[in-house]
Amino acid sequence: MEEQKAQSQEGKIAEVSLVTASPLDLLFNPKSVAIIGATPRENSVGGVITKNLLTRFKGKVYLVNPKYDEVNGIKYYKSILDIQDNIDLAVIAVPAPAVPKVADECIKKGVRIVIIISGGFSEVGEDGAKLEEELRRVVQNRIRVLGPNCIGVYNAFNGLDTFFLPEDRMGRPKPGPVALISQSGAVAGAILDWAARRNIGVGLAVNYGNKLDINESELLEYFAKDNRVKVIVMYMEGLKYIGEGKKLLEVMKEVSSVKPIVTYKAGRTKAATGAVKSHTAALAGNYEIYHAMLRQANVIEADNLTDAFDMAKALATQPLPRGNRVLVITDSGGMGIQSVDALDIRGLQVPELSESLQEILRKQLPPLSVTRNPIDLTGSATDAMYKFVLDTVLPTSYVDMALIIALMQIPGLSINLGNYIIEAKRFNKPIVVVSFGGNEYVAKFESNLEENGIPVYHAPHRAAKALWALYEYSKIKGVAKEWW
Amino acid sequence: MNPIVAKALEEGRYKLLEHESFELLRQYNIPVPDFALVQDVNEALKVVKDIGYPVVLKVVSPDIIHKSDVGGVILNINNDDELRNACDRIKNNIKEKAPYARISGFLIQRMVPEGLETIIGATKDPIFGHVIAFGLGGIMVEVLQDVSFRIVPITEEDARAMVREIKGYRLFNGYRNMPARDEEAIIYVITKFSELLSDNPNIVEADLNPVIVLERGKGAYAADARFIIRSV
Repeated sequence: MEEQKAQSQEGKIAEVSLVTASPLDLLFNPKSVAIIGATPRENSVGGVITKNLLTRFKGKVYLVNPKYDEVNGIKYYKSILDIQDNIDLAVIAVPAPAVPKVADECIKKGVRIVIIISGGFSEVGEDGAKLEEELRRVVQNRIRVLGPNCIGVYNAFNGLDTFFLPEDRMGRPKPGPVALISQSGAVAGAILDWAARRNIGVGLAVNYGNKLDINESELLEYFAKDNRVKVIVMYMEGLKYIGEGKKLLEVMKEVSSVKPIVTYKAGRTKAATGAVKSHTAALAGNYEIYHAMLRQANVIEADNLTDAFDMAKALATQPLPRGNRVLVITDSGGMGIQSVDALDIRGLQVPELSESLQEILRKQLPPLSVTRNPIDLTGSATDAMYKFVLDTVLPTSYVDMALIIALMQIPGLSINLGNYIIEAKRFNKPIVVVSFGGNEYVAKFESNLEENGIPVYHAPHRAAKALWALYEYSKIKGVAKEWW
Repeated sequence: MNPIVAKALEEGRYKLLEHESFELLRQYNIPVPDFALVQDVNEALKVVKDIGYPVVLKVVSPDIIHKSDVGGVILNINNDDELRNACDRIKNNIKEKAPYARISGFLIQRMVPEGLETIIGATKDPIFGHVIAFGLGGIMVEVLQDVSFRIVPITEEDARAMVREIKGYRLFNGYRNMPARDEEAIIYVITKFSELLSDNPNIVEADLNPVIVLERGKGAYAADARFIIRSV
């Protein structure tokens, strides 16, 4: 336990960056957590959470379960009321019928915020809805609630992790600048696993379940304030409370002026319209309204969650482009064409370089190279040619960003190409790289880039979407001007 | 609540009458053609001297939502004879197609010159509140679903984006022998319409159809309007 109490370097940075200890600060950055429904049985919900917190949480953990006194030298309390110390956050994982009573005890204990993992409320029908109402009466204006029926919080910085999916099933992402707000717990678990395997840093993730109290708006507001978060990814299915759409629109608009929000709204098929409606009402299918809201709120909309993370990766690491003109450098003509297609569909330009600039390039590059843009270095490309083109063209006013295709299977290319690309960051223009292949050499090239803040994509269209997101956000921030 | 809406609700109506709709728009500076409510053909012949030909004649009835479907609208009336004739025809059409509809009178309005026909609609969603839709008239909205939506309140920038994101937007810049259209005027109408809806939560559905957008610099007019209301 001593080890777990030690604050990590990241933890300390986090503390400094927090404005005040609001209940939501306590939700993500508690110093002490009580798990009600803790258990040594590893394959249960309470068991996984217990293990997560005991092994990784950098704070004090208190276990509550009347069935146990002590297991492996760790004390179990009968009730949260038996704990002497202050509790910043309580995690409830007991059967639904017991939740109102347990929540009431948390209030008596003076706990300000609680995560209710337990399911069996409004999501299971009328009886559950009644229980949720009973719970609402207990907690309303007395304690803040995340859930019920949620997977809770993942914080890679301090090891707070209520995701009840065992570690061998769900990888935990490293600390990083992306925060995830997910309406679905299972989706959150799957996407964190996916991100962990791809070494994408997702520092904070949260799922709010039935949303009895804490909602998307409040979580967005919290992430806007948290300096560790550079980009917010949001997975949403639909809102449920009367009038809450307007509030969310306002909050999104405000937050997106501070940092980018990338949202994937699932459930896009138009809801059937009932009864007699005017044709306006009939056209305003459900998704259309969400789509309108996202546009209006300056939120970047993704078509799926992988796209969202592709965009987030670029938004978290790249400067904003001043315009929509892309320099494409490739060692494969075919990949160059695919990139131009993908960029054009998204409204980005691949401008032909001026004759004088092409003349400079032609003097240094082998005769078969194409210098218009895309700049095709062909199969005889070398690290030095990429460096020459980057250093010659990227700083000019002809282009605002670069898409670099490097098929590393070519003998003239080496790991060192990555370093040249990393050096080009000094031009302060966005750079993304397309790499394709599965050998170890390629993997090393890619991880070198990613660790140094250059996002890598495995297909041209994915890189193009990432650049598009940068341009969109640049317009939102007023850095790039819209050219009507 | 706007007195026009309040009065209609008080009378147990769920829609505004034609002249009420125009009056409501006028209060928000949304341009509408000159109009008058008349009871019969003699009154129509009198007021048309001020309005001036060509005019449109529409039936006014609390019981009819889609006037054109029952032959309750006649366009492009150019002189007194045609006006007399139009009155009779509308009366006969209603007698035949909506025999139980009460007729409160006729709306006579100046015919808006030809222009680009657009539709501005609104619906009230329980979660988002008022949502405004914009599209081009004719088949563009209904068949091609070339429509953009925004949630009230909408800013001028939102309205501009709304107009520019429909596929038919190029028509605003002129095409072949068609002139460029008054884009600023339609943006203005959309923002004022948003204001109108914000102030009147009782409006649950509305259509300005068509809103005719004239040449650049000449404005845009709501040539017909329909408001459905509920007591909240």
